[in-house]
Amino acid sequence: MIALSEISAAAVCSAPGPSPLTDGAIAVLNLQAQIDGLEGQGASAEAATLIDLLILRGLIHGRISDYERAAQLADRQIGAAIADAAAYVARARTRAVFHRFAEALDDLDYADRISPQESATRQDRAAILQAMGRYDEALVTYVAADHRGEFEQAAALAGLWAERGETDMAQRFYLESLRTYRGVSPFPLTLLDFQLGVMWMRHERLHQARTCFEAAIRRVPAYAAAQGHLAEVEGHLGNPEAALTRLYPLVASSDDPDYAAQLARILGEMGRNDEASGWCRLAANRYHELTGAHCEAFADHAAEFWLGPGNDPLEGLRLAMLNVRVRKTPRAHELLAQALDAIAPAAASARCSGAHLPNRAATQL
Amino acid sequence: MSDHFSGPRALADPIADISDVFAFPAPDSPEHLVLVMDVFGKAGPSAVFSDAVIYRFRIRPVEIAATGSGAAFAPSKSEVTFDCTFDVPKSPAGAARPVQHGRCLTPSGRTVSFRADDENGGGEDGIQIFAGQRSEPFYLDVRMIEKTVATGKLSFKPKGSDTLYGTNILAIVIKLEWRKMLKGGPLFAVVCETLAAGQRPVRIERVGRPEIKNVSMSWKMFDQVNKDLEIRDLYNSEDAFDLKPDYFDAYRVRMNANLAFYDGLDGKIDWPFDQQGNHPLTKLLLADFLVVDASRPFAETSYFEIERSMLEGRTHATPGGRWLNQDIMDFVLTLYVNGGNGPPVNDGIDAPIAWSSKTFPYLAPPNPAKAAAA
Repeated sequence: MIALSEISAAAVCSAPGPSPLTDGAIAVLNLQAQIDGLEGQGASAEAATLIDLLILRGLIHGRISDYERAAQLADRQIGAAIADAAAYVARARTRAVFHRFAEALDDLDYADRISPQESATRQDRAAILQAMGRYDEALVTYVAADHRGEFEQAAALAGLWAERGETDMAQRFYLESLRTYRGVSPFPLTLLDFQLGVMWMRHERLHQARTCFEAAIRRVPAYAAAQGHLAEVEGHLGNPEAALTRLYPLVASSDDPDYAAQLARILGEMGRNDEASGWCRLAANRYHELTGAHCEAFADHAAEFWLGPGNDPLEGLRLAMLNVRVRKTPRAHELLAQALDAIAPAAASARCSGAHLPNRAATQL
Repeated sequence: MSDHFSGPRALADPIADISDVFAFPAPDSPEHLVLVMDVFGKAGPSAVFSDAVIYRFRIRPVEIAATGSGAAFAPSKSEVTFDCTFDVPKSPAGAARPVQHGRCLTPSGRTVSFRADDENGGGEDGIQIFAGQRSEPFYLDVRMIEKTVATGKLSFKPKGSDTLYGTNILAIVIKLEWRKMLKGGPLFAVVCETLAAGQRPVRIERVGRPEIKNVSMSWKMFDQVNKDLEIRDLYNSEDAFDLKPDYFDAYRVRMNANLAFYDGLDGKIDWPFDQQGNHPLTKLLLADFLVVDASRPFAETSYFEIERSMLEGRTHATPGGRWLNQDIMDFVLTLYVNGGNGPPVNDGIDAPIAWSSKTFPYLAPPNPAKAAAA
């Protein structure tokens, strides 16, 4: 659901390149310690930090429940501090995580009105514009943003160019990010490694993608999305057993159905259909739940599932259309095209039998 | 926690964020000096030290160079350091906390090994070291400090709300036989630093005195020169014993402006600026190291007593430095607001959840996980 490329590394946290980084296991323990230490603290600034940390933990462990908790906390903060710009920025972040981009931008606008002298919202605004596919506006906004340092600027631009698929520019800023990193936390760099990996995957440069995902995992072994994407790459590279080894722990630790969906696909391709159907049912149930609760956020990944192992092209098309309304990214358009291709045989068959596409799908096309 | 969250970088890397530094003659052993560095304010139960950070104690012999209105210290060029580093912890089955081992490189080149959370610490001849999670010894009401600054009026309540109540920190405690382990003295200047490890370690943070970066330097709005400058990361990157002349004026102007704000809170001026336009405390506070006289017996409330004696042209009576239980916020506020010429300023918080003890490792054991929320 929440692709990392939609959340700029700099928006999540900040830290060194050539210097050693804190071991990934320590970093995860201390992320937990930060969250535990801030739970129950009432102050607005602390609540905003807690929301950011919950989003980061959700990202690392692939835990949607963390995003949901962050969103609840953000709503509660607005209720408690109606005139606090930081509370609106925090809620904008949680709304962005759930792809409620228009509402997120509304929150940032409101924060700007309450506290016009603060320029902190620009970075968040740029990340949201990027996620919506409004890349040129995102670029202008990133450049205008009052960045906290060279690393933050370079990391944001690496993420933007990676999302645009401009590999040379993305790599240039990625290297600049490594060069300018001065912290010891591994999180900002592992997130960047992942973004580059996703970029190479989209270009079907699977060996480069694998290198990036492996780098991300060396920094933070618990990083679920990197493990999941590496599994996908390994599957494509003809090593399904390695992929399965990575995916089984993820379905136990994460509440994101992506990993069950991947297991279903790979096991199906291996001819282990009984096992595949079990994981498929699990993923289907969870996608139904999630698209019911957070439709915008899960439309893209759920559409992929229904177009693949879920085998419900109509549902895939419905969600792909919804997704393209939320975000006009090249990936969203590709997904819609894929859905239309998938539905074509069904539609042709339906026309032959005198049936029609569902009204919703037909009108939205 | 007097220095916790002292700048954007510290926020991003709490494990390298020094919250407090203490230096005091050992209450249980006069021939020993105790140095304490706290990091990771509001640390949850799983918090451990980073394996990529050097936790450094820097100690220099220091002389009193001048007294009266131009009071100043002259730290020696010679320095000793104690560098503490940590391994990646292991998590044995059933253990409440991961087991982490550390080591301290002493000035003589010896390495002292220890296991985190072991109250006996590690040690050998002349030195004992503890590292681990402990109860936060600092106490203050942050909201009322913010309100005071926002309104320009002392806003503390008779019974305040301790922002840090029930929270924990990670502490490193070094108890050393100072005549054996240090050179010179008995007056020493102490600074603690965190550095990103590597072939050329890079300073992440440094702390000497309490409440310099937050209470004294963080407010931008009184500074007529650098109204928009978040000055603390720059200040953190500096060598406490050798501030760059290029930036010194930025720190000086910020400190002057903020100290003048505090001085005006009671409606009278207790600290008239000198002929160069500086607050009388600015120069001393920007000498941002704890000065402790290791030859003096332990005292409960001794922070800044050496500096006060210098300003007043008398000999100090206490070891100075800083003891764990001193009510630093009341002291700093009273110092800044009326210089001791008026009633003490009380922030309404007079104790932490648990007092530190007078035996090694001094800081109280960690609080249960939910003590803060409760």
